[in-house]
Amino acid sequence: MSKQKSMWYEFYKGIWEINPTFKQILGTCPTLAVTVSVMNGIAMALATTFVLVFSSLFISMVRKLIPNQVRIAAYIVIIAAFVTVADLVMKAKFPELSKALGPFVPLIVVNCIILGRAEAFASKNSPLRSFLDALGNGAGFLLALVVMGGIREIIGSRTFLGYQVMPNGFEPWLIMILPAGAFLTFGLLMGFSNAYLERKKRIEQQQKILQYRKSENELKEAEA
Amino acid sequence: MKIVIHMIATLTIIGVIAGGILSEVNDWASPLIEANQKAETEKAIFLVNPEGKSYEAVANADFEIYKVFDENKNLSGYSLAYEGNGFQGKIRMMIGLKSDLNEITSIEILEQVETPGLGTKVTENPFKDQFKGLQTTPQVNWVKGKSPEQPNEIQTITGATISSKSIVAIINSGLEKARKLQKEGKL
Amino acid sequence: MDLLIIFISATVVNNFVLSYFLGICPFIGVSNKTSSALSMGMATTFVMVLTAIVSWLLYFLILVPYGLEFLQIPSFILVIAALVQFVEMVIKKVSQPLYRALGIFLPLITTNCAILGLALLLSMREYTFMQSVVFGFGAGAGFTLALFIMSGIREELELTDVPKPFRGAPITLITAGLLALAFMGFAGMI
Repeated sequence: MSKQKSMWYEFYKGIWEINPTFKQILGTCPTLAVTVSVMNGIAMALATTFVLVFSSLFISMVRKLIPNQVRIAAYIVIIAAFVTVADLVMKAKFPELSKALGPFVPLIVVNCIILGRAEAFASKNSPLRSFLDALGNGAGFLLALVVMGGIREIIGSRTFLGYQVMPNGFEPWLIMILPAGAFLTFGLLMGFSNAYLERKKRIEQQQKILQYRKSENELKEAEA
Repeated sequence: MKIVIHMIATLTIIGVIAGGILSEVNDWASPLIEANQKAETEKAIFLVNPEGKSYEAVANADFEIYKVFDENKNLSGYSLAYEGNGFQGKIRMMIGLKSDLNEITSIEILEQVETPGLGTKVTENPFKDQFKGLQTTPQVNWVKGKSPEQPNEIQTITGATISSKSIVAIINSGLEKARKLQKEGKL
Repeated sequence: MDLLIIFISATVVNNFVLSYFLGICPFIGVSNKTSSALSMGMATTFVMVLTAIVSWLLYFLILVPYGLEFLQIPSFILVIAALVQFVEMVIKKVSQPLYRALGIFLPLITTNCAILGLALLLSMREYTFMQSVVFGFGAGAGFTLALFIMSGIREELELTDVPKPFRGAPITLITAGLLALAFMGFAGMI
């Protein structure tokens, strides 16, 4: 590693810069499936973050002991063990949530975010950095699920976290809580965020061009 | 050769450690999970038979049916869990019956995957309340688009006709099974 | 009759991609050409049927009798990974053309959540052996169907003038949304 990045950056980057859902387009299945309500989204994100943090930490600690050829198999076993722990704890302590999320808790095991971070980050970095990176990516995933769940819950059932926020006169758009609504919301969200980022980039470029021209003019004036 | 042994050893060690941890967690969690499931069933049994104070599973039945007793330990009715196909998938429900099986006390939907906002209206009170005190002889019937006239009729929900009909069908097939048990003297 | 219901339910009514959101990654990734969509669909269906068989045997003959249900997730994922590897080896030996057609898609299948989802669902619903096989085949057929329709639409989409920020994944998701809406018409068939 040429230059060590700050610890804060390792955490912070996951939230927006390399947001797992919007930027890396990983973990789309749970993003679409569980975001019928904000509460489900939060529960899913917390379960995923739990698995992500502990498996990253653990993999990073044993990274030098695992032979390269079997590393993926070893990672999968470690991840699957933590997923089972999360699944059992949820079933024991939060039966309602576990029922609402259905098979999507066990499916965290194939969530590409976790294996992706294990392979791309935890296998090459120190436990502390891996821990922060996992926490950041988890937070980014949480943000994405809350935004998706929020939009779908507010428009689809007039509520946010179970509290009514839209007036009674507002007829809920049922499509938002149907599978079709998940695809549409995610597609539109992705499209608009692309559009926003492109516009920002264009404005920055134009400002740079302006600055360049200005300094060029100043140079010319100085020469004259 | 050395690397192969190393590979196998690493995987085995990871597997054994993971298995050990999981069995510990499982030992802690499984009694809690069982208690949760039991509490859920119990809650539903008494929800559909509000006068009940204690219950007992009917032995020799090939489906879930419970005898419900009131505070004087007299039989007050039956709660039966039954399932069938709805509009999009399985509907599992608890049906409360008076002890002669001729009147429904109340129903509760335990599991369903109906269309949100339309089919899910079968889980809401306006629909469920129609079943309180409903006669079950010769069977439960549904009417569409008008108020029910007979004591064994309910009105289907507009926009969720199939889900409503499915509920009625599940009740009827559950009833049939319960009556068969009654005839055989096993209740 | 029961088997037919399971098949129809898995194929169209509760389509894995469009109503369970399983296998979205390959659905978005491999749906730009009809030919590769078909190959991917067939490879997935094949693995799904095998997974249904193997995971049923594993769950109901080994895990349940010994009270080891809590090892379900690790053992399923390992079995699937081994299975895919095995299928890849067999296909390579048996038929080179088939290997060229399906080969590159096989490694992708291991991380396809539809496969693990299938194994988890069939153990959760306590299907019998025959029901599991039919369920696996139906889910695969449904996946292939969704992928094939989607790839057909996307081939046409390439000729249209989609706003630039919406090109690629966003428009694919929106199209999938409309497709999911269309598939809702199948509800009520069971």
